[in-house]
Amino acid sequence: MPALFSEGFLLGLSTGFYCLSSCLPLLAPYLMAEGKTAWKFNFFIFLQFTGGRFAAYMLFALLASLAGKAGQYTLPAWLLPACLLACGLGMVVFAAFRVSSRALCLLNRDFNPFFKRLPLALGFITGINICPPFAAGFLRLLGLADILKGFAYFGGFFAATTLFIAPMLLGTPWIGRRANEIGRLTLLIAGIWYAGLGAAGLLRL
Amino acid sequence: MTPLAAEKGKTLSSGFFALLVFVPVMAFAGLVSGREIGRIYALPWALFAAGTAFGIAYTGRVSFFRRLFFGVSALAFLVHFKFSLFSDTFEASCFTAAPFCHIAIAPSFLNYLYQQYLAFMSGGWKLWGPLTLGAAWLFITLAIGRAWCSWACFYGGIDDALCARPGKPLLKTARFSAFRDLPAALLVFMLLASLAYMLPVYCLWLCPFKLSGVFMDGDAAVRRLQYGLMAFALAALVAGPLLTKKRVFCSYLCPFAAWQAFWGRLNPFRVTLAADKCAGCLACVSSCPMSAIKCLPGGKAEILAYCNMCGQCLDACPGGGFAYTVFGHELPERLSPFGRLFSVKFFFVFSALTLGAVFSSLWAPAALHDLVKILGGTGL
Repeated sequence: MPALFSEGFLLGLSTGFYCLSSCLPLLAPYLMAEGKTAWKFNFFIFLQFTGGRFAAYMLFALLASLAGKAGQYTLPAWLLPACLLACGLGMVVFAAFRVSSRALCLLNRDFNPFFKRLPLALGFITGINICPPFAAGFLRLLGLADILKGFAYFGGFFAATTLFIAPMLLGTPWIGRRANEIGRLTLLIAGIWYAGLGAAGLLRL
Repeated sequence: MTPLAAEKGKTLSSGFFALLVFVPVMAFAGLVSGREIGRIYALPWALFAAGTAFGIAYTGRVSFFRRLFFGVSALAFLVHFKFSLFSDTFEASCFTAAPFCHIAIAPSFLNYLYQQYLAFMSGGWKLWGPLTLGAAWLFITLAIGRAWCSWACFYGGIDDALCARPGKPLLKTARFSAFRDLPAALLVFMLLASLAYMLPVYCLWLCPFKLSGVFMDGDAAVRRLQYGLMAFALAALVAGPLLTKKRVFCSYLCPFAAWQAFWGRLNPFRVTLAADKCAGCLACVSSCPMSAIKCLPGGKAEILAYCNMCGQCLDACPGGGFAYTVFGHELPERLSPFGRLFSVKFFFVFSALTLGAVFSSLWAPAALHDLVKILGGTGL
């Protein structure tokens, strides 16, 4: 088991930059939009995001191991675009409710309670975003066809890739009200982009 | 001092200021033009820059003459580089290749850091590696900072010249104030998306200046969307200023404007408002083409980080409340004809105008050469 954890860890370590580039457009706008000067608060957002990623990785480890056992080597083609669409729409709705202008804000009520778990969802979406290193790990698990070994392998992969994402927190104590505004607009643009990508993916099926 | 002597002194000092601008512009433009098209084409451009300097020094009006210079520079750029896209007969020279697009640098900056990636390169500009361009950008930022967008940017000149055309705005931009940070948001998004996809997302999806279909996506539906966004950006560039009297593209879409607004703090020049001279008339708010002056609750104006020191508010303020300063400080006032040149205003105008004119030496003399060729019947 430790050998498999190390194998996953090394895969994550060598390909972490790819993970970073796919996580950044989701996490960075959210951190900018909702981050505060209090480091603890931002760390909590980061923890939720990481939790979402961890859940996604473990789910994939489970699915890959089960699929390997059953000799099934495919996943539903609609899964990734549908998740991207849901994530994009979530970001758009969140940003639309939070852009601070009375004329433009859809509702003046603070909708934050409904979106408290958004970082978790964003992390989950990022986790199931199949990038080349992730696909390499997935194929390895299909071959292993063992749930516990799969958890160990993807656990290592998760730990290593988190090392690449964690430094993002260093910039957050300087986030002020202005950065929040910019972050919300960025979240809106990123949401439209991801929703568009998801919708295009579904239409092409 | 008699009025005649004062007038003579003012003329002489303005001439001296014009000479200060003329010498470096002629030296650089002559050097560049001498290699390809003949040194003689540099002379009209250097004289035009010197004339602009004279006009500013003599009348004290910064923005009027700046806008004239800026508009002509942008027009020359359009003539030389963009019209050449429609002709295959341009001679192979460094003048036929558009300089590396500075707007593309900002949203692709993370790609640069990661793999020294150049968004779009052409002709001899391939030789300009990221470090050379980075050094040039750093020098410009230290010298004039945010003023780049109002004195040197060859695209901003189009927006700026067009927004001077209408007498009154047909559309008020105040309702869009919630989106004033949109360029910053676009910059953040494009930095991240360009890195994630390893593609120049801005150039592919939003740039209204490429006027070409060669960079478009292979998929027909995606290509239609790209053309739609390009048309939207082009409308913001051309129709926006005509409808609103504001630089709509530069204020609401250009990621480089946000980039320079951030890094421009490195430059010491500022436009500062003396609170005691502000009557709250808000003439500055309506005159600012960048929507960079905001009305505070007390009726007083506040200058935002997006100010690119065009000088429009200096001309518009009836109380003379605005001034060019160094980190908010002015130099002691001197009243003698030549002594008045030792003010922050003239130091700034000299830096911005000289840099803008030197930079546009890369295309303005060549545009004149093109016109001479066309008028001479040799065509493009």
